[in-house]
Amino acid sequence: MENEPPNPTQEEALDSDPALQKKHQSMLDRLTHRHQSRLDTTLTRRAAADSSDPSPSFESTSAFLSRFSTSKSSVDSQLDQCRLTDPAHLKPHLDQISASISDLEKLVAENSYFLPSYEVRSSLKTISDLRQTLENLSAELLPKKKFSFRNKGAKKTEPKEKENEKEPEKMEFIVPASPGIWNKKGETLVRKFQCSEVGEFTISDLDSCEVRLMGSVRALFVHRLRNCRVYTGPVTGSVLIEGVEECVFVMASHQIRIHNAKRCDFYLRVRSRPIIEDSCGVRFAPYCLSYNGIEEELRETSLDEETENWANVDDFLWLRAVQSPNWSVLPENERVGLIDISSSQES
Amino acid sequence: MGLLSIIRKIKRKEKEIRILMVGLDNSGKTTIVLRINGEDTSVVSPTLGFNIKTLTYQKYTLNIWDVGGQKTIRSYWRNYFEQTDGLVWVVDSSDLRRLDDCKMELDNLLKEERLSGSSLLILANKQDIKGALTPQEIAKVLNLEAMDKTRHWNIVGCSAYTGEGLLKGFDWLVQDIASRIYVLD
Ligand SMILES: Nc1nc2c(ncn2[C@@H]2O[C@H](COP(=O)(O)OP(=O)(O)O)[C@@H](O)[C@H]2O)c(=O)[nH]1
Ligand SMILES: [Mg+2]
Repeated sequence: MENEPPNPTQEEALDSDPALQKKHQSMLDRLTHRHQSRLDTTLTRRAAADSSDPSPSFESTSAFLSRFSTSKSSVDSQLDQCRLTDPAHLKPHLDQISASISDLEKLVAENSYFLPSYEVRSSLKTISDLRQTLENLSAELLPKKKFSFRNKGAKKTEPKEKENEKEPEKMEFIVPASPGIWNKKGETLVRKFQCSEVGEFTISDLDSCEVRLMGSVRALFVHRLRNCRVYTGPVTGSVLIEGVEECVFVMASHQIRIHNAKRCDFYLRVRSRPIIEDSCGVRFAPYCLSYNGIEEELRETSLDEETENWANVDDFLWLRAVQSPNWSVLPENERVGLIDISSSQES
Repeated sequence: MGLLSIIRKIKRKEKEIRILMVGLDNSGKTTIVLRINGEDTSVVSPTLGFNIKTLTYQKYTLNIWDVGGQKTIRSYWRNYFEQTDGLVWVVDSSDLRRLDDCKMELDNLLKEERLSGSSLLILANKQDIKGALTPQEIAKVLNLEAMDKTRHWNIVGCSAYTGEGLLKGFDWLVQDIASRIYVLD
């Protein structure tokens, strides 16, 4: 590695020189460690009681992955040894493996807040596969339990199950209707909210409608829409979308969750990563709504900044590292452009 | 001394309490955990899988497991039932449409034998939202009075945004668990 190019960019140098790479990694590790301990002390100070996290935290995906894979191979080899283990020692050996798998699970849990979702899901899958292998081995190798009377331990509660099985009790409480728009076809529906007038709002069971919500709401629920266009001002909590088809949404919100969407376009401004589940053919683009006062409303709700999160979509059902086939970025030449709804009259 | 009492003793000494936070997705579990830990709640991404937070509360160490609530991962919940001392069931009191779903999932959870010994705190979250149901109304919808008489439970209204009600809820939970587990101290 002596023949390094004169002025290598950092990446090139790192790529080509394992020693440098190692050094760089350990520096990163030191830094993240320092960052973490500082974070810990800040948290400690912030929480009235002294809060601390005794377990190690890496904040680096590669550090996590290497630790995960080391532990995993150790579990693998323990599993391989099962067949060679003296039957008398088999039970403790299996218990040991089970404990190692739990440790592995804890490792994922403790680090899942910074890991990319692909890593979390695939690690969870690995763990569940290890559990399965262990269960199969136990079933195969351990002698079947003999039937015995036990006078200690948990009382059986089986008969109770039956009781619970009877007719589900009628709810004695009638849930009030939340403010919203329901059961419409082929209409344009406009609502203007004055500040903090509205908490949650529901849009449900619409066909071929255009919905325009101006002003901010705390929570928005969208349910069963077909062939609709929905334009909304800022939502300070979350938007929960379920069961929509062939729709266009233009929304700004702190959090957006999309379930069961088919062939829809989403133009979003969002502070956290949007998530999709059970969806396909959904496309994403940046927010593009305009009406009188929207700038100020966005500022007041901390949604004035373009975070680019509209493109950081997590597909919770897509396990692999490659791009999920269920969503894509809407090509620029197919986007609608700025939508101005200033002149809308409340309907 | 039997093995069991040794284990109990170790456990008591550590004064560790393990708490499982569950509820439908979007109910506010992650925000609540961040809030009681004094962390920033201005950007919360939906949880994939789970998070663990360890924090000191009074003289106890709370180990809080925050598990994702999406339909597709509810089946993973069972992996966390072992050794759970306290169960926190979080309800989005403004999500009227999914209250049925919420009741059904809670009923299923409470059938779980491994959880039969754990105290149950129901947090009627998002009380700051206009139109949210009150804790009393949530209790009726979930038919809590019909619950197994041996279960220790309580329902508290709260808001992860304002922080209101969270301490009241966790105080009750921790006291209830402590008086059960550490009673021999
Ligand atoms: N208005 C209001 N919104 C809340 C409250 N708690 C959580 N939220 C919002 O509800 C959404 C879901 O919260 P999150 O903690 O991710 O829910 P989880 O899926 O149960 O973990 C987020 O947008 C939060 O900002 C609350 O007490 N009041
Ligand atoms: Mg969460």
